[in-house]
Amino acid sequence: MSEDLQSNHTASPPIISVRNLTVGYGDEIVLRDVSFDVLQGEVLAILGRSGCGKSTLFKAMVGLIEPIQGEVYIDGEKVLPVLEGASEKILRKVGVLFQSGALFSSMTLAENVAFPIRLFTKLAERIVERLVMLKLAEVGLTGKERLLPSELSGGMQKRAALARAMALDPKILFFDEPSAGLDPVTSAEIDQTILRINATLGTTVVIVTHELHSILTVADRVIMLDKDEKNIIAAGSPWELKENARDQRVVDFFNRSPADDRGPVR
Amino acid sequence: MSEKEEHLDAPAAAQSSGEPVIRSADDSAKGYTVHAEDWHFDEVRVYVSGTVSMDNAEHVRRDLVRAVTAQPMKNVLIDLSKVEYFDSSGAAILLDIFRVTDELHTSLRLVNVPERIRSLRDFADLDRHIESGILQPRPEPNLLIQIGEGMLQLHRNTVDILTFIGAAVEALIHDVARPGKLKWDRLWKLVDKAGSDAVPIVTLLSFLMGCILAFQAAVQLRKFGANIFVADLVSVSICLEMGPLLTALIVAGRSGAAYAAQIGTMQVTEEVDALRVMGIDPIRYLVSPRILAVALALPCLTLIADLAGILGGCLVAAFSLDITPVGYFNQVHKVLEFTDVMKGLIKSFVFGIEIAMIGCLRGFQVRGGAESVGAATTSAVVTSIFILTVTDAVFAVLFYYGPSF
Ligand SMILES: Nc1ncnc2c1ncn2[C@@H]1O[C@H](COP(=O)(O)OP(=O)(O)O)[C@@H](O)[C@H]1O
Ligand SMILES: [Mg+2]
Repeated sequence: MSEDLQSNHTASPPIISVRNLTVGYGDEIVLRDVSFDVLQGEVLAILGRSGCGKSTLFKAMVGLIEPIQGEVYIDGEKVLPVLEGASEKILRKVGVLFQSGALFSSMTLAENVAFPIRLFTKLAERIVERLVMLKLAEVGLTGKERLLPSELSGGMQKRAALARAMALDPKILFFDEPSAGLDPVTSAEIDQTILRINATLGTTVVIVTHELHSILTVADRVIMLDKDEKNIIAAGSPWELKENARDQRVVDFFNRSPADDRGPVR
Repeated sequence: MSEKEEHLDAPAAAQSSGEPVIRSADDSAKGYTVHAEDWHFDEVRVYVSGTVSMDNAEHVRRDLVRAVTAQPMKNVLIDLSKVEYFDSSGAAILLDIFRVTDELHTSLRLVNVPERIRSLRDFADLDRHIESGILQPRPEPNLLIQIGEGMLQLHRNTVDILTFIGAAVEALIHDVARPGKLKWDRLWKLVDKAGSDAVPIVTLLSFLMGCILAFQAAVQLRKFGANIFVADLVSVSICLEMGPLLTALIVAGRSGAAYAAQIGTMQVTEEVDALRVMGIDPIRYLVSPRILAVALALPCLTLIADLAGILGGCLVAAFSLDITPVGYFNQVHKVLEFTDVMKGLIKSFVFGIEIAMIGCLRGFQVRGGAESVGAATTSAVVTSIFILTVTDAVFAVLFYYGPSF
């Protein structure tokens, strides 16, 4: 291995490559010609004001919408629209937490978490059960295994959905606004869970959010999108952007409210 | 500490040396060893090394169980120092091994657990309060409890239904008493949806029903040379019974089901609560216009159904019984009384109220998610069919014994 590879964290190989991606709905283009990499093992936050196309980019990255132009590669393999032949390899590598949680309402929490495990592995039922328990314990839902999603509070649903997203120990976890609509404590708990997964399993995390506090806590790097430019307007470490950004839109975002300015989080 | 352990302890450091710690699940399908060594006379040490992932966890477990149960020892140590990749499935099988050793009354300890694996989960803490069977359906309570709960359910249901009917009637009276305050354009849209959109299917089905009635009657009446009476049979039975009932069933399937699904979904997404906190009574806002809409639309649809049915009868009469349309309609004119048609329309007015009420009621009873909405829709249609049939029977008796118009 060469010297600079050893010294430089950013030189670890990209696990996701987004290349000249143009996405939109019908004739309306939301993002034009976007390119960036996500490195193995990093936590990348995608920021931007509402309506700038964060969710759209997110959906294109996991293959839920077809790009108008450009490609997304995960681990060197091109991401195809999910139902048109996405390879099982990619599907297993990726866990997704949707904005609304998207738990299956007819299944109990345990069944929800067991669903991807049963789908993709041949583990015996006893092991599946243990695994489900571990995952639910990890998000603090021990004892709630047999409840239906509708019998839970919003925060608990979100955490259960997180347990389902990480059921297979995916290499990459995608989060769409994990803390939307949650109290600060639950939201901080989710941040801690994200950090723990990232540290213990080396999971790469892509997280869409506009919670400044959580960005500063969890993200190694951020990219910021803008509605008018339809592209990335800033990229870098969150602290660096917060301290040194000159672009007014970035400054506004990071310094919009003094209450959020709590100094470095350790 | 060996170099490998260092990797496990500090993923970031390992990454910077260019050798990824985490292998992707696909290239880690093989590559583990489980190997037991006697340590003391009563102690066995089991070394796990290599990769433990979702793909081979089943095999690892089998080997571990074999190693642990081979000779009953007092103490079993599982040494994880040589593990390179270990995911949650590894943690899951360790939990399972704890259960196995508990049954054998051996004591199991994990030793040299790399920090990274330890932070996967505090197994030792977790395995004590494992409640097994979390993936099994909830146990059924015993029969007595079920009967008791059934009775309570019935009671709650009855109270719900009566409250709902009360509230709906109150809202209706309110609206009808002050038509100036009614949102006519909303009502009109609902009438359009429940009424106009149903015209094609109602016309078609009723026409066919007229044909069928005429055809079946023709077979019998021809034997007596009483051909012309086919007009009596078709027109009276369509206007009194088949028209109103058939139309009501179609509308129950269309609008009743739709109302249950709409209001049920609104209930799930808290839209109903949103109305409440704005000070809007959801029953008045959602239910009363729907009842009015169906109650207005259904008699109109029934009238169309009556016409289509009689026309259907005419067609069959002309082709299979050689009755001219003029003769047919003359006969219809002679036997069909205005009150017969009116009776049908009065019935369909009542049917309309029932269909909308049942649909909305089932919608309001939704608790939970998508599945519950589906159940509400089904139940709206089934309940409607039942109630419509019962009401029809009551009307039959009423019209027979009651005062004639
Ligand atoms: N299904 C859709 N059909 C058409 N336009 C959409 C759809 N979803 C989102 N949009 C539009 O795309 C833009 C970006 O939306 P989105 O990616 O959801 O924003 P964000 O998640 O950043 O708030 C918005 O202008 C929105 O109106
Ligand atoms: Mg969004």
